[in-house]
Amino acid sequence: MRIVVTGAGIVSALGVGKESHVHALLNEQSGITAPCQLQTNNPLPVGEVKASNDELKSLLHIKQKEVISRTSLLGITAAREALEESAITDTAQMAFISGTTVGGMDYTESHWVKKEHFFRDIVQTHSAGSTTEQTAAHIGTFAYTATLSTACSSALNAIITACNMLRCGNVKQVLAGGAESLSLFHYNGFRSLQILSAEQCRPFSGDRQGLNLGEGAAYIILESEESALQRGAHIIAYISGYGNACDAYHQTASSDTGEGAYLAMKKALQMAGVTTTAVDYVNAHGTATQNNDSSEATALQRLFNNGETLLFSSTKGYTGHATSAAGSIELVISMLAMQHGFVPANIGWRLPIPNTPKPTLHTLNKTLNVVLCNSFGFGGNDSSILITKSPTNKELTEENDITIEELSCVEVLSDADWKQFISPMVGRRLTTQMRCLLIAAKQAMTQNRISQPDAVITGTDWGCIHNTTALLNQLTEEGEDSMSPTLFMQSTHNTPSSLIAIQTANHGYNATYSHGKDSFSQALLDARMQLKLGLIQSALVLGFEEPDETWQQLTTQANTPYQPLAKAVILQCHA
Amino acid sequence: MNNELLKQQIIEALNLEDLTPEDINDDAPLFGEGLGLDSIDALELFMLLDKQYGIKLQNKEEGKQVFRSVNTMAEYIEQHRTK
Repeated sequence: MRIVVTGAGIVSALGVGKESHVHALLNEQSGITAPCQLQTNNPLPVGEVKASNDELKSLLHIKQKEVISRTSLLGITAAREALEESAITDTAQMAFISGTTVGGMDYTESHWVKKEHFFRDIVQTHSAGSTTEQTAAHIGTFAYTATLSTACSSALNAIITACNMLRCGNVKQVLAGGAESLSLFHYNGFRSLQILSAEQCRPFSGDRQGLNLGEGAAYIILESEESALQRGAHIIAYISGYGNACDAYHQTASSDTGEGAYLAMKKALQMAGVTTTAVDYVNAHGTATQNNDSSEATALQRLFNNGETLLFSSTKGYTGHATSAAGSIELVISMLAMQHGFVPANIGWRLPIPNTPKPTLHTLNKTLNVVLCNSFGFGGNDSSILITKSPTNKELTEENDITIEELSCVEVLSDADWKQFISPMVGRRLTTQMRCLLIAAKQAMTQNRISQPDAVITGTDWGCIHNTTALLNQLTEEGEDSMSPTLFMQSTHNTPSSLIAIQTANHGYNATYSHGKDSFSQALLDARMQLKLGLIQSALVLGFEEPDETWQQLTTQANTPYQPLAKAVILQCHA
Repeated sequence: MNNELLKQQIIEALNLEDLTPEDINDDAPLFGEGLGLDSIDALELFMLLDKQYGIKLQNKEEGKQVFRSVNTMAEYIEQHRTK
């Protein structure tokens, strides 16, 4: 089958809607400014959406008194535009798959000091999954909703899952992408990692000083070519291939060889049956940190025959790094570039990195038929999607009739003997529950004699809530300069999944679902779909919920208590 | 500057719970082949200097110089502490 895109919506620092993006890109106008919406004592340039929450609510006709996260408001803005373009009016048979990490953090952090008073709203708006549900509530009824949370690659992974659902025939159409708003929590977390730039970011420049955080949302409508033709929809692009791989190197740094990035891009090209010479343009992740850009450039050079003739650019000089929304924002930018026939400029660039190819510095008029879009996240969660203007020769396979075996489930309740399984230098940083999960994963792999499952997929409702509440306390009690980098780098929902990949050197597919009580079943469904599609032969599926006194108290008060969990299951195709 | 106190603070900040101050040599490199610390530990040491001694280092390069060993850290703290 072939998968096509029939609608797209976008909001970022460049404005609301596709038109404002095309205009800014063609005129090389950056959206990066000093922060206006984000109330920080340490202002650094950001890619903010230039509208307050109240203004967004008016624009969207949402009641001012409704408690809703900025992430959802941005999501609704983009989703409505995508649906409108696709001319779909009834969403009841569709799936909605979204990616976010920050979720409702903006509400949580601004009410944390009085959490005992605002517990109900905090618990209801905080999670990644609730952001998706709140977005859905304002756009339509969906047959299925799910949330991916793989840090900065969340949106691309949501689109990858959407493609797998279409290939398995689970639904006819999917709305997929990601949304993320700025929060003091991750702004100061990134500050603690010392990777924010004091000036407009300079991706792939020899004098780059770090990234600018951004925010926004972008969603696309995906369906089979057959469905689009049947209803006479306009086809914007084909999703011809995609790849997800884990760098399995470090929670916040990419490897020197760019292994995860290289594998993700290679998988995408292979799936599409496209050679590297056919790629007209790569929209790189290009955050403008020292580490990302040198690692990604190495991966590009490895895959594209030293990259000398490759046209590539990072568009983060326009939008900033919109973290979980970056993937879909940049995929929509790639589609706009394809539709309008231009390579977006890599603005901000000043000096070459020695022995590294130069990105495209100015908007270049060019017909684009094949475009690759990269998005990488903390923990080395790297993904890449290949879009084409026309169908490629190779069709995407559909599901096979196979039997899936669910092997023994390992649940670990105590980390008392963690030193038998985990080295002291690794274990010292982990919470009790992270150690339990790592032990469970290792035991499940040993018991079933599977040392390298093809996929590591985690489901978690609250993610790394213990580190999160500790960071919220630091932020609200001691101020913006007090957030611990160790806690921050282990606060994203995908920390457990990437921890296991790093500790077992697993470069396979890696993803995390965070959608309330459905998180684990969504992780299982992902594994089952990929097994049926022949994309993987085995999968390690993990369930993770962390005990935390404060959070357990708040959720219990709100009548939604949860149980700590650290379990591992292995699924494989029956031989 | 009391080196033993500083070592205790390093152990706590970096969760090196298996170590005691006696395990850390005053002159031994903290990074690389020494204690085996990494870049995230360096960031925690930035926080430690700020929180305990009111010292804000400018950048990672300055950090590299200051964090060479317990002795270099102690010396820097002595000269630059604001609390």
